Amino acid sequence: MTGPTLDILSLTVALPNGTPLLRDVSLRLEPGEVRALVGESGAGKSMIGKAVLGILPPKVRMTEGEILLQGQHLNAMTPTTRRRTVASLSALIPQDPLTALNPLRKIGPQILDPLRRIHGWSAERARTRALELLERVHIRAPERVLESYPHALSGGMRQRVLIAAAFAPSPRLIVADEPTTALDVTVQKEILRLIRELQKETGTSVLFVTHDMGVVAKISQKVTVLFAGKVMEDAPTAQVFTGATHPYTRALIAATPSSADMSRPFSPVPSELISDLHAEIAREDAARMGEHR
Amino acid sequence: MADVTTSAPRLRHGGGLNLRFWLPLTWLGLLVLAAVFAPWIAPHDPLAQDLMLERLPPFFLSGTETGYWLGTDSLGRDVLSRMIYGARIALFVSLIAAVTTCVFGSALGLLAGFYGGWWDRVISRLVDIWMAFPPVLFAVLLVAVMGTGLTSVIAAIALIDWTRFARVIRAETLSQTRMDYVDSARIGGAQRLSTLLTEILPNVLPTIIALLTLEMGIAIIVEAILSFVNLSISTDDPTWGSMIAEGRNAIHFAWWVLLFPLIALFLSVLSFSVLGEGLKQRFDPVLQ
Repeated sequence: MTGPTLDILSLTVALPNGTPLLRDVSLRLEPGEVRALVGESGAGKSMIGKAVLGILPPKVRMTEGEILLQGQHLNAMTPTTRRRTVASLSALIPQDPLTALNPLRKIGPQILDPLRRIHGWSAERARTRALELLERVHIRAPERVLESYPHALSGGMRQRVLIAAAFAPSPRLIVADEPTTALDVTVQKEILRLIRELQKETGTSVLFVTHDMGVVAKISQKVTVLFAGKVMEDAPTAQVFTGATHPYTRALIAATPSSADMSRPFSPVPSELISDLHAEIAREDAARMGEHR
Repeated sequence: MADVTTSAPRLRHGGGLNLRFWLPLTWLGLLVLAAVFAPWIAPHDPLAQDLMLERLPPFFLSGTETGYWLGTDSLGRDVLSRMIYGARIALFVSLIAAVTTCVFGSALGLLAGFYGGWWDRVISRLVDIWMAFPPVLFAVLLVAVMGTGLTSVIAAIALIDWTRFARVIRAETLSQTRMDYVDSARIGGAQRLSTLLTEILPNVLPTIIALLTLEMGIAIIVEAILSFVNLSISTDDPTWGSMIAEGRNAIHFAWWVLLFPLIALFLSVLSFSVLGEGLKQRFDPVLQ
């Protein structure tokens, strides 16, 4: 019996002036599990993935909490050890495939370098594995793609290349940071399918950041709903769609447009609910400040 | 109809005869040749004075002496020969000074933009303070303190103009550092310094090259300004700036002494700045 792939305990991340971006977030990702992180923009869903991978924006600091990757305490490590550990166990599928590849370097070295550097693979082995994965994500002429510059590829192709690169070393954890947001709808479906298939084949755990409840239903087994950096709901996906306990989650689901029922009017999350939640969080923040004093 | 060929028209920016690229390159190429082969090309000794031949007009006017194509100055020295030897100094100064400035300023800009924090605060404040000095006065002062000579001129240019590189390269580095590919490289386990050198530097390089060529033009101007006020190298040596200064006194009866070096100066500076833009496009695979 192995422990969870990722265990986040009361993670708090804040700006230098003390404004919290994540408030006391705890979540657990079991091996082979896909957990969706949902919430409106600014809810801090991407921040969780960034905190785990150690790429928080400059000046944003982790002020409290623990992150355990494969049972190892990341906070207790020196920056170098931490970087090596994270690099060898996890990978990122970024949000914007257009800026995630260096425009001046060929695709080949960009995918192969990490495999060789982190996993100590030979050039031959890295290349074979990369070609295998590129074929797996339905890229025609993978050899030619390795020799191309990123601008020669379409957005969808670049995202597939990035998916191949993320899965190539068979990491234990993949953070998918809204991987379909920057793509058009027809490509989105294909990308989602590829991620789900590869995830099943490799048994990698995936932290899937998204704002789309429809995507959540398709891809994840568990859901964490965030609002203003605070966990609103943490439950199995099926349960969330049948009977969410938190009013915010229910409102989010109600706000998801449905292609099955076009006649249903669009109902955004009620603004009273949002202001109520903000007020509640402000009270909690004030209480915590009082505690510290 | 059975055979319909569909050929999409393709726009090519890199190919073809690009005049914006080749014209400045031609002028600068001629200049380099003139500078390198000056002793063989120049029809006369640039320092030889002959008061019998003073203020001869250029070849297309009347009253000329054969062999003095662009006329002579008040001391009877051949203008063309002096211009050719002047190209030597102009190019030497612009090359050395611009490269020094570029390396120094770009390195500081890269460090400030990439590491941020204290690096950025210290370097940015230094740039702010530095830029508060009026540049030409600063150069004159520096040369006056250090003494005239080629080294002083080059040092003065580097000390004045490094801020231009530091500022622009810092901003460029800052925006590149925010790109996702830098995060990806970090997650891929790249060291911080190697991320800077292998990921960011190549992306900033086109800007550095554009600035470098621009700086070469500016260095020529600064050298000319210092020559003009007699602070460059010894007054005997032919420089475009000192020729312009001398020509100024005789402008009403020997305008050619001033005009020809001025044209050479103008064309060189213009060529450098136009070439900078052309090179930037050539080096960027996305723009090609």
